[in-house]
Amino acid sequence: MRIPLRRLGVYLAAFLFAIVVNFTLPRLMPGSPVDSMIAQLGPRATPAAIEAIKARFGAVEQPIWLQFIDYLKGLATFDLGVSVKYYPQTVTEVLARSAGWTAFLVVTAVIFSLCVGVSLGAVAAWRRGGRFDAFVSPFSVVLIAVPPVIIALATLFAFGVTLRWFPVGYAYDPSLDPGINFTFFGSVFWHAIMPVLTLSPYMIGEFQTTMRSSMISVLGEDYVTMGRAKGLGDRAVMFSYAARNAMLPVMTNLALMLGAVFGGSIVTEIVFNYPGLGLTLFTASVARDYPVIQGQLLLMTMATLGANLLVDILYGVVDPRVQEGRT
Amino acid sequence: MSSGLRLFLRQKKAVAGFIIIAALCLTALLAPVLAPGDPAQRVGRSHQPPTAEHVFGTTKMGRDVYSQFVWGARPSLAVGFATGLAITALGTAIGLIAGYFGGRTDAVLDLTTNAVLVIPNIPLLILLASFAGTVGPMAIMAIIALTSWPWGARMTRAQTLSLKSREFVVAARMVGEPWWRIVFVEILPNLVPLIGINLVGSIIYAIVAQTTLEYLGFGDPLNVTWGTMLYNAQNSSAIIVGAWWDIGAPAIGIAIVGLGLALLNFTFDEIANPQLRSGPALSRWLRLNRLRARELRAAP
Repeated sequence: MRIPLRRLGVYLAAFLFAIVVNFTLPRLMPGSPVDSMIAQLGPRATPAAIEAIKARFGAVEQPIWLQFIDYLKGLATFDLGVSVKYYPQTVTEVLARSAGWTAFLVVTAVIFSLCVGVSLGAVAAWRRGGRFDAFVSPFSVVLIAVPPVIIALATLFAFGVTLRWFPVGYAYDPSLDPGINFTFFGSVFWHAIMPVLTLSPYMIGEFQTTMRSSMISVLGEDYVTMGRAKGLGDRAVMFSYAARNAMLPVMTNLALMLGAVFGGSIVTEIVFNYPGLGLTLFTASVARDYPVIQGQLLLMTMATLGANLLVDILYGVVDPRVQEGRT
Repeated sequence: MSSGLRLFLRQKKAVAGFIIIAALCLTALLAPVLAPGDPAQRVGRSHQPPTAEHVFGTTKMGRDVYSQFVWGARPSLAVGFATGLAITALGTAIGLIAGYFGGRTDAVLDLTTNAVLVIPNIPLLILLASFAGTVGPMAIMAIIALTSWPWGARMTRAQTLSLKSREFVVAARMVGEPWWRIVFVEILPNLVPLIGINLVGSIIYAIVAQTTLEYLGFGDPLNVTWGTMLYNAQNSSAIIVGAWWDIGAPAIGIAIVGLGLALLNFTFDEIANPQLRSGPALSRWLRLNRLRARELRAAP
């Protein structure tokens, strides 16, 4: 297993970029964010809290590079500072509380859209020019172009408020005690349906488009003709020969899309009052809780980088040509 | 009629998309005629459903939703298009420079491009916006443009790299043309279809990002745009109290812009990459394919 060094360099640069943005922004601000945060703390502003915020946001008499080293030391020990809104909780605690829900939503939505989008794309490419293709393919492009806010609001209005099919808030029925039992899981599943359906259209559109174009070029390959020549049926050629190979670009696209998916999850969680990272980010941004907003960016950057790395590794396993070409 | 225009007119989807966008732009331009008066003025009771007098109903504050929709089209479309242009300009410039000059310039720019590409955009946007406080349209434009150029830059760089080694460019260099002439006169014209795709895609992205930011409350709430209309409607719990018109009008406006741009983009993609084309030309291919499948099935 070899991941090209160049890719690792890119991830390192991206991570550094996020850190540097986080470090410099508050120090560049014209009005000091420190004062507004101390004001935000109100009566809870103990000397220790004020000290912690000042150290983090550069309102201390110290050369800038020493501040940066301190900042990096903090990051290395997962110390992302204290939350202003939820003081005395730390940012790590606040984020840990909600990260699981977002991960659950995003992973479920990715799996669901992957199944739907890839099948639609494969069939559209197989029947290129047919009625199915002529409708589904432009429709997918439209799905990519409609902001998630609109889809979320429409879903909420149609299925949550008008038809009352699904609950309109929270991750599970608040009257239930979280535990490992069927009622609780059922409730979690039931509450996740609308958010997942909101997150999916964008991804389905992207997967369908990528799968279709990659499948079209794969269908021209010799091994597909060979499969035909062997007398294999349509389904065998389509799934075992063409679709499996056409999946590769879809995987690359998946990793790159994750950033946009996180963006969508932020909006979705706000609309459906779902207790994930997005809702936390929203309450943090309303309260100008800068440490939490910064921690959020770092966490989401790390998640995206992790996913990209994973795809790089998988790519090498699934497509041995990649490794050969790179060594 | 030029062949490019004829090619465009033959595509029903593109024409439909163009008409949608043109109609919306016209609505925005003619706002003073279509909805005279100040859209922020209180004209009726709170949350009135659509009537003959207020065709899109009223907001919680008793403002006319139709008037807000028409006036809100102006900043929404203007910011969307201007930001899209800025993203495209930035992406094209960086891609061109990286691709043409190569070497260390390319190494640095390519690394930056890929790094910014993998950083999740919306969280970064929210971070920037929240440090900037409540931001006007110009700041929203700048923030979006600065975080979303890498897609275009990557495409442009790849295309420039392949163009650079073509004979006509090599010839131009041997003749001794200066670098700027090679870039602007020899290479740039060949990038036009790519820039078109990039532009439409960037406008779509800019509108999505702008709506998201304004919906989250980072826009100026006094400035009537579709995004702030959504924000205000959400704050007055329009959906929960059943005032669907309050949220529906801006939502449909944004969705229609998306639809129009998507139809244009789909066609551009097909023109630039004929392999992806679907439509009448392909039905013959499809028929043959079906026929072959049937024969295969019939054979024992």
